[in-house]
Amino acid sequence: MIRIKNVRKEYASGLVALDGVDFRIQKNEFVYLVGASGAGKSTLLRLMFRSEHPTEGEIFIDNFSLNNLKEKQVPYLRRSIGFVFQDFKLLPKRTVYENVAFALRFYNYSRSRIRRQVSQVLELVNLSSKMHHLPSQLSGGEQQRICIARAIVNNPPILLADEPTGSLDPDTSWEIMQLLSKINARQTTVIVATHNKGIVDDIRKRVVALEKGKIIRDQQLGAYDA
Amino acid sequence: MRHLAFFISEALIGIKRSALMMFIAVVTIMVTLLVFGLFLLMSANVNNLAQFISSKLEVRVFLNETITRRDIEDFQIKIAQMPHVKSVIFVDKKDAWALFKGSFSNMTLSDLVSENPLPHALKVVLSNNEYIKDVAMQISTHKEYSSDVAYGGVIAERMSAFSAWLSFVGVVLVVFLTVATLFIIVNTIRLTVINRQDEIEIMSLVGATPGFISGPFIIEGLLLGGGSSFISMVLLRFFYDFFARRFQEALPYFPLVFQSSVLNEIYFFVFLLGAILGVLGAYISISKLLKETV
Repeated sequence: MIRIKNVRKEYASGLVALDGVDFRIQKNEFVYLVGASGAGKSTLLRLMFRSEHPTEGEIFIDNFSLNNLKEKQVPYLRRSIGFVFQDFKLLPKRTVYENVAFALRFYNYSRSRIRRQVSQVLELVNLSSKMHHLPSQLSGGEQQRICIARAIVNNPPILLADEPTGSLDPDTSWEIMQLLSKINARQTTVIVATHNKGIVDDIRKRVVALEKGKIIRDQQLGAYDA
Repeated sequence: MRHLAFFISEALIGIKRSALMMFIAVVTIMVTLLVFGLFLLMSANVNNLAQFISSKLEVRVFLNETITRRDIEDFQIKIAQMPHVKSVIFVDKKDAWALFKGSFSNMTLSDLVSENPLPHALKVVLSNNEYIKDVAMQISTHKEYSSDVAYGGVIAERMSAFSAWLSFVGVVLVVFLTVATLFIIVNTIRLTVINRQDEIEIMSLVGATPGFISGPFIIEGLLLGGGSSFISMVLLRFFYDFFARRFQEALPYFPLVFQSSVLNEIYFFVFLLGAILGVLGAYISISKLLKETV
């Protein structure tokens, strides 16, 4: 479903973030991208999300090369890929409900449909009782759950998460990972970039380890360390 | 329609969040458009005055003392056959003197002038006063009939020159005020865009098209420009009605513009200009920031 083909990413400064990265991700898979800071995990996610372009190589999603994607088609790609950010990227002056509904605004959906979809997803992330709260009134874990709810409210086939537990305590991190597993069980391909060893070791999935921009290990049901 | 409702609600949120800045921008744009509208009204009145004066112009041909009645009739026919001549009327010198004395009834001209100094004359009215100078020149070549041809040429030329000058000033003023208004709108919208840069980034990340992201800001520009110009339009109408009526009372013969078709055209133009500049200004600022953000 996702094919990363000999991808190299070199920035104008000369920094090589990715070099010869080549692997496939099947539909409905759950994959951890692990490695130290600067290994190239986030860059890889940004390339899949078309926030950046590879210097060499290609990325295919459902056999369609992102290299051939025109700028005006990028929003439509992003509607089929949910993205969970480490810093949540929530709108501070909008309620939980509004933050999630925000992602449905550009579909020509009726108010009742938006309300139904948002309610369903808030129930899934266990935030129904706090839908009228502002993000600032919630904990870090709850804010991350809003971010996840916004990413999946339109049922995208792919969910990318960049360090989703990066700023959370271990218990909350565990909750978030359980939630991502639950989403994966609903036929969504989930790719999580993390350097949270405990989580990767406890919830065993496929692990793609990166080091200095290269894949050093690709292991089914792997641990954080080889 | 759902998108439009969303754009409007988001635009209103944007305006509410930067209410003070919006208020300052509305006042500035309003004053600028008010100046612009006043200029248009002044220009319309000067043109009206020029047309009024021009419509009153005629060529006066003072006939030689020596010519006969038959010569006068021949000359009348010759002038009538000239292009752009509408009518040629003979003015007897006795009638002219009586009229002249009547115009200066407060003076005892008989004491100063013993006999009628005026010659017989022909009054030539043109179908188009643009050609008054040409016709006057053509008549003056007939020295055998007349050695003195007068027309309101100097006034006409001055009015024409003033109109041309006013048109030039108008173009300069239009360009200057348009740029100034656009500048204010671009910067006001830019500030609201910067205020909401996080939202723009998030919208882009969750798959909003640039057109969708721009929508609320374009509406904001439309409301800013259109709202300001609407207030200008109302004030302009009020001021013009108020002052023009008083001016007319003081100078009843001065030809002020009162035709509602002309005035409404000016008011509408001011409103339309504000609305268009609002949309254009918003488009410029959001396009630039979208390129940087998305």
